[in-house]
Amino acid sequence: MTDKESAKEWEPKIVAIVCNWCTYAGADLAGISRIQYPPNVRIIRVPCTGRINPFYILRALQEGADGVLVSGCHPGECHYITGNLTARRKFAALKSFLSYIGLEGDRTMFTWVSASEGDRFAQVIRGVTAAVRALGPARKLVKGI
Amino acid sequence: MENVEKKLREEAKGLLAEKKVDVVVGYEQGTLPLTATPCFITTPEEAERLVWNPFCVQNLAKFVHDLLGQHHEAQKRVKPEAKQKKVVGVVARGCTTRSLMIHLQEKQYNRDEIVILGVPCGGYVDGRKLSALAGGEEIREGSLDGGKIVVKTVKGEHQADLKGLLADNCLTCRFNEPVMADIETGKGTPIAGAEKEYEPVTAFENLPPEARWAYFEKEMAKCIRCGACRNVCPSCYCRICFAEQSQPRWVDIGADPSDTQLFQLMRMYHMVGRCVDCGSCTAVCPMGVDLRKFLKKLDKDAFDMFGHRAGVSLDEPAPLGAYRETDKEDFIFEPAKKIEA
Repeated sequence: MTDKESAKEWEPKIVAIVCNWCTYAGADLAGISRIQYPPNVRIIRVPCTGRINPFYILRALQEGADGVLVSGCHPGECHYITGNLTARRKFAALKSFLSYIGLEGDRTMFTWVSASEGDRFAQVIRGVTAAVRALGPARKLVKGI
Repeated sequence: MENVEKKLREEAKGLLAEKKVDVVVGYEQGTLPLTATPCFITTPEEAERLVWNPFCVQNLAKFVHDLLGQHHEAQKRVKPEAKQKKVVGVVARGCTTRSLMIHLQEKQYNRDEIVILGVPCGGYVDGRKLSALAGGEEIREGSLDGGKIVVKTVKGEHQADLKGLLADNCLTCRFNEPVMADIETGKGTPIAGAEKEYEPVTAFENLPPEARWAYFEKEMAKCIRCGACRNVCPSCYCRICFAEQSQPRWVDIGADPSDTQLFQLMRMYHMVGRCVDCGSCTAVCPMGVDLRKFLKKLDKDAFDMFGHRAGVSLDEPAPLGAYRETDKEDFIFEPAKKIEA
């Protein structure tokens, strides 16, 4: 995928790991409201952002995702009360560490989308897709490069 | 140091004679010149073997965890009335006590299962710097006298100041005094460079991302995944490490550089707020990977983001096991309104 021709056809692959209670429902709302957003995102549903092992994110990057989005309930609105608050710390440290070793900051994104924010979900996906598109295909931590 | 060693032997002897401890984990003279090696003392007579000098490198908290972990495991198969308690005495400098503190915070054993023989520490000698002094030759003889190290090799004699041979982490050590101790064997002097501890990290942060990535890639390419860093790390005590798990297999065992990078990244990430900068991992690394550059960043982040210093107080849990409602959110992605993709 290095030559110019294939770069033209390149579409970012984004893995979105979202929580069951807020963002997944938000994505559902975006769907039933017929809000258009880029089809570059593959959604993985987990019970809670607190359940996400940071290895999921690294593994996704290794297996060829160009960007990883993690989204859950807004702080204070977690279905499990504090799951997203511990997740917030985990991801703050992870994101900072990944930028430190030289990974582009926009490869890993974290955000909150509630079940009633279908419009925000679409905005997030548009924003993330645009940011990852700007970065180009992933070259770091990827297997087989 | 002489007095500390004498006091240490006396105290260890006393503890063993009075049966207050079952074993004392300490350092003894190594088989090679200018080395010390961990040892397990179980009888009062053996206490004479204990030494305390700048060649004592490894963090002994690891052995304490191993011994007590094995004991707890063995006790599971014993009838309640036959259960026995095991008490481990440990010779501990500042970083070792912090590791013990982390074990206590994480409820690995109880405070009454360990007896801490606190020792003052002025830093230990970096094996790589010592071998550079000897010009890469085998050290045949060596001596340390009043801050001067003399090494003899087949090619001649070299000498240097002890201060110049100390490990990097010792030069900027903030906690060279034990943070907790049952028995104190002396008082040390604070290390002057503690406020400069994050300078290498800040310098690295200011490099362009591509340069940082190149450095990371270069360092990780050296790694042969022998697991020595993990085996020696007191904070790495999982019974089954993610690196060896097969269901799920978190990290592949192939020779792809990304596998090694992922292994190291994840091992290091587990150290957020748990790395005491004892330098054991870099000391044992056979390939000389600069792990400290990355681990120190996690330490800095734990302090900057969560105000946490690893293993300093029993009341402060590991930062990733806790939260505050006011934690920083500046990394959260906020989509701009009306983006066309």
